[in-house]
Amino acid sequence: MGKARKPVQIIILALIVLLGGYAIGTSAFGGGGKPEEGSRAPSIELLGLDGQTHTLDEYKGKLVVLNFWGSWCAPCVKEMPALEAQWQQWKDQGVVVVGVNVGEDQMTVQNFVNGTGVDFPILMDPDREAVRRYGVSPLPTTFFINAKGKVDTIHIGQLDLSTLSAQIGKLVNP
Amino acid sequence: MNGRLPLIVNTKCECGHQNPVGTVLCEACGKPLLDDPESGETLEMRYDGMARRSQKADPDVIDRVWNFFSSVKIAIYLIVLTLLGSTLGTIFPQESTFLNIDPSTYYEQRYGTAGEIYYRLGLSHTYESWWFITLLVMIGASLVICSLDRVLPLYKALSRQKIRKHRRFLTRQKVVLVTMVAEDPEVWTARAVQPLKKQGYRVFTDGGALLAEKHRFSRWGPYVIHIGLIVFLLAVLARGLPGLNMDQHLAFPQGDLIHIPDTSYYLKNEKFTVEFYSDEEMPEEFRGKKVLPKLYETKAVLYECTEDCGDPSKEPKLTKVASHPIQVNDPLSYKGMKAYQFDYDLTPVLRSVTPKLVNSRTGDSYGAFKLEMKNPQRSFSAGPYTLELKEKYMEFGLNEAGQPISKSPYPNSPAFLFLIKGPNLPAGGEQYFYFPKQNDKAEFQQDAINDKLGGAGRFLELEVGDMSGVDFSESTSYLNIRVDRAMPFVWIGAGIVMLGLVLGFYWQHRRIWLIVEGGELTLGGHTNKNWFGFRREVSFFLNKMDITADEKSLDNGGGQA
Repeated sequence: MGKARKPVQIIILALIVLLGGYAIGTSAFGGGGKPEEGSRAPSIELLGLDGQTHTLDEYKGKLVVLNFWGSWCAPCVKEMPALEAQWQQWKDQGVVVVGVNVGEDQMTVQNFVNGTGVDFPILMDPDREAVRRYGVSPLPTTFFINAKGKVDTIHIGQLDLSTLSAQIGKLVNP
Repeated sequence: MNGRLPLIVNTKCECGHQNPVGTVLCEACGKPLLDDPESGETLEMRYDGMARRSQKADPDVIDRVWNFFSSVKIAIYLIVLTLLGSTLGTIFPQESTFLNIDPSTYYEQRYGTAGEIYYRLGLSHTYESWWFITLLVMIGASLVICSLDRVLPLYKALSRQKIRKHRRFLTRQKVVLVTMVAEDPEVWTARAVQPLKKQGYRVFTDGGALLAEKHRFSRWGPYVIHIGLIVFLLAVLARGLPGLNMDQHLAFPQGDLIHIPDTSYYLKNEKFTVEFYSDEEMPEEFRGKKVLPKLYETKAVLYECTEDCGDPSKEPKLTKVASHPIQVNDPLSYKGMKAYQFDYDLTPVLRSVTPKLVNSRTGDSYGAFKLEMKNPQRSFSAGPYTLELKEKYMEFGLNEAGQPISKSPYPNSPAFLFLIKGPNLPAGGEQYFYFPKQNDKAEFQQDAINDKLGGAGRFLELEVGDMSGVDFSESTSYLNIRVDRAMPFVWIGAGIVMLGLVLGFYWQHRRIWLIVEGGELTLGGHTNKNWFGFRREVSFFLNKMDITADEKSLDNGGGQA
């Protein structure tokens, strides 16, 4: 035992650092909880209005503006034109605007989209699973997810064109 | 503990044994190494005088870290700090005790400035905070290192005991007897074996020297406790791993199949029942004043998805795996997942209506169709007529511009706009607004709207004959879905702790050494607790050997009863 003393000590200390680091790390960076600014954007798998299943991985390497909305939510309706304008302005420069409808059925979403003429990808979250994962409570809430898949900024409430433009501009040309 | 060692010490005992640095009593013969030979004080017998593993003449960084955690003093500080930290978490309720609050405003609103400070300091989630977890990790490290540092030397010392000890080792024990014996040393010791064996001792002799020992296993008690605590801590730590712990509250409207997030399970609330105590069943003072529930029950069926799971573009294939009438404290349980009754809501939720298209002039009926609130069909046919669903509003209202909108996604006052085509209608069809709920029909003036849309000559109406044409989810049951796969390990840890406590508390490690030399018997005895019982045992043994020794006379001081 005498000769093995040092390696044993090192192995045990390493194990403690590993396990302890994991425990402290997950508590300090809010593991498992809702995402915060700087944390990894949770994955989602939702049905799009186009009938296809979409995930965030599709947009890897792009700046994603993930906007949670509902047709009954007046500020969400009001910010739609701003989002659409930004989508048109930036879509060729590695920016994608994704609208996640919260809890409504396909007909409502389709009618709404037709009515407002938005063109960016719309996903549907009828069981509110993405809402739960992203810890969204008031609507609208918008997550700016950078090309590395990390949440850069969380904006709660209505977005206006100028802040949206500034925000995206800052992320595209840092 | 003797921490202040001189820089260079000769650690070789006179019996020829080479002891490690920090040894208090020679590992072989037990001779006290460190103090004044003339001292008459009783010996410090902790860990049998062995050096702890970490005691070294020239510690490096790793040794210093090791020594830090190996210190019992540090361990006690850590425990006290954790205790104080835990009490901070009990001042106001923790965030985790609420389901739906915004902690950034709740604490200030409920408790004022103190609450605000409490929240800002992060004390509203004390037990998940990085510093609290750090303290727990440090206690865990201390447990492992303290134990290893002591249990290995102790094990070595106890498994390699020499029968013949240094005389000074015997005379400085807490139980001592020095007396004359006339007999031959070997004969006397041989005669002593039997009575000691009768008392349950394991006896070893070496000429005129004897060692009797019992219940050594009791010494492992504290270390068994430590192992239990480590298992406990690791289990608590493991709860944070994905899939090992889940605790969520979900709404299950009666009759709806609901997916349980992050699992492949679906649960259907087939029937929720709430019963209340009747007036006769309640005590006098409650009658007519209180409503007391007697039973909450959710008839639940659990399905597991076997194919096409997680892909929202496909319908999942489900297999029924369990069913149970869930009552309070009687959850549905399947493979470690439990569904507890948590809350209920008796507000009915409209699911579908089956209206008939009728000719209001002739009274003719053209047939009925089922109109779902969620994902309805988009076109229907009734007799010669086709109805195309154009718009739907779950909670009908008007926005600032006077346009119809839905105020929420919940079917509280649903409204539907149809385009009806068929005989005797304009070529482009006729628009028709339909409010399934009778009171909405009146409130929003369905007839007036439709008169405007279709003109006074319109003759078609949608009508629900009786309640059979209306499908409600009568109530909603809220269930608490829990998975705690780490729990069995928490119990195992607790069980090991209990075993260690029993080992350490109900038995004592007792040892008697004796040397007969030159007509003199020297006896020393040691136990780790219950000295009173031990002295009685020694006195009883000596009486058997025809030596009268009163229990008290065996006491060599040392301040322990």
